[in-house]
Amino acid sequence: MKRRAFLRKAGAAAVGAIGMPYLLPSGRLFARTQSRLADHVVVVLFAGGVRQQEAVEQRYLDGSQNEAIPGNILYNLLNGDPPEQKIVYGTDASLRGEIPIPRLLNQTLQQQGTLFREMRATLVGHYGGLNVALQGNTLTTQGLRQKPLNPTIFEYVRRHAGEPASKVWFVGNGIGNSVPLLNHSTHPEYGQQYAANFLAPQITFGELGFKHLSKSKVYHPEYELDPIYKMKYFLDNVFENKASAIGGIRNTPEEKLDIKNFLEATWQKTANGTITQPPVNDINDLSNIGYACEVMKWFKPTLTVVNLNNVDTCHGNFTTYLRNLHRIDHGVGFMWDYIQRQIPEMSNNTILLLVPECGRNLQPNPILDENDWYGYDHSDANARRIFGMMVGPNVPQNLTRGSVNNSVGESADIAPTVAEILGIKDTVIGSGLLAGSARSLFDRI
Amino acid sequence: MKKLIGIIGLVGLLMMGCTSSEDEYRYEVNPEEVLSANAGKKKQKSIEQFISILYANLFQKALSADEMIEIRKCVESIGDKELAFEIVVSNLMNRPDVVLPTDEYMRENMDEFLLDTYKRFFVRLPSEAEKAYMKNFISSDPNISAEMVYVSFALAEEYQFY
Repeated sequence: MKRRAFLRKAGAAAVGAIGMPYLLPSGRLFARTQSRLADHVVVVLFAGGVRQQEAVEQRYLDGSQNEAIPGNILYNLLNGDPPEQKIVYGTDASLRGEIPIPRLLNQTLQQQGTLFREMRATLVGHYGGLNVALQGNTLTTQGLRQKPLNPTIFEYVRRHAGEPASKVWFVGNGIGNSVPLLNHSTHPEYGQQYAANFLAPQITFGELGFKHLSKSKVYHPEYELDPIYKMKYFLDNVFENKASAIGGIRNTPEEKLDIKNFLEATWQKTANGTITQPPVNDINDLSNIGYACEVMKWFKPTLTVVNLNNVDTCHGNFTTYLRNLHRIDHGVGFMWDYIQRQIPEMSNNTILLLVPECGRNLQPNPILDENDWYGYDHSDANARRIFGMMVGPNVPQNLTRGSVNNSVGESADIAPTVAEILGIKDTVIGSGLLAGSARSLFDRI
Repeated sequence: MKKLIGIIGLVGLLMMGCTSSEDEYRYEVNPEEVLSANAGKKKQKSIEQFISILYANLFQKALSADEMIEIRKCVESIGDKELAFEIVVSNLMNRPDVVLPTDEYMRENMDEFLLDTYKRFFVRLPSEAEKAYMKNFISSDPNISAEMVYVSFALAEEYQFY
């Protein structure tokens, strides 16, 4: 073979080898990943249904309650001045909620990152909306009490980015509304073996957790646990029904021990009153954010998804809805600051994504609260209006995309956006399991 | 001469009459698939079933409905169910009223202990191979307690099924 021909063929072979999928020793077949935009992603599912009018439109009571009082009550997230009258969303003094919670961040997340002012939610229900965001799929046949049918972003990250179970966490707001089912799908090529570690801190570290989980007998890892596991493995090997055996998330024994140590330490901190919490911590979602910070501090996860839902009080109590919106702004600001200041491994190396799973109606329902303000459900076209934001390295700063008449982005974009940040976008899109309309928010920019 | 021919003919007839039959009888067994004693366990216990049965096995009494619901919620609050059950089992083992055989009893009555343990947790008898392995494993390690054997059975995959 002539030298020129040899070089041409060798070059072609090299290009082919780079472009082809390859088989890892673990048996995973996947295309070569792109570079990561950050090593950690935190997704805040600002769930419970957030009306655009009280969020990015900053109308406070204007238009919703026949009170022409506008204002921004999300001032850690968004630029804008707070309301000047009828302050009900703060902490209590002589009047309920009259003292606004002080702003925590010097710069709003809008200034630090990119705001998608007008996105679209595929579904206007809570569970369906969460499913869409986590699967990147707009499958509308997903039923309550049914696990996701298509892979979740947790499974994509574990399978294609090769992340161990203890690096992928889903911190739920509780165990109701099928939330615990969201940590993995039933898809035959993904499923439980690629699931996220789920935790519902309000139960695990609440009264019930203390009663039934926190008084574990401590077995010596070498002299007691090791023989216990050896006997268990023998018994498991004898068991015929391998196909349906529980299998589990596949935390390794080391990961399990690490999680147990985390649980022990967190029960201790909870009992001592030293658990991480935002300065104001009077609703479940803020407590949940505090425990999510503990999870991040301990495990430094590659992907953390935090689910919230306290704003769902809007069905019957608009005043509490405003209070909870304001508190979640406080909680998210606290969490972002905590990541930057208290977790060196994640500081300046984390992208935060925030999106509600659905909006709320344009017209109120007839339920009045203590201020004679109407509640709002989520079932009409206005409930499909949502916003989203992202902040962190490689995210354009102080950029706004979309407007009322020009929506940019949808709730199903969360999954491909996480995939892009972690360098597996092409593989995830190549799976063919995302909605055709779902795109990375970076591509929307 | 006629007499001789008659005798020969008679003998010949008798010899023909004694020829063995062509029928052949074979005794065989029907082909049967041999399954282990646990092969019939196909249904996975629900969290409630697991907790109730575990409690009954460890305390020899029924769990109250309230407590069962509380423990179920705790299990649901942790994504890794294996880990959650492990924590629940070790919490139950920490209670003073758990009913366990003594370690002395286990070592002095190994066969009986193993039969009882298999029946208690797996609702079946162990095979000879299982019995031999467990006996050998327990005998070879003086640190193994009856409690540790119970924990391993409670965490075994077979215990998740019925």
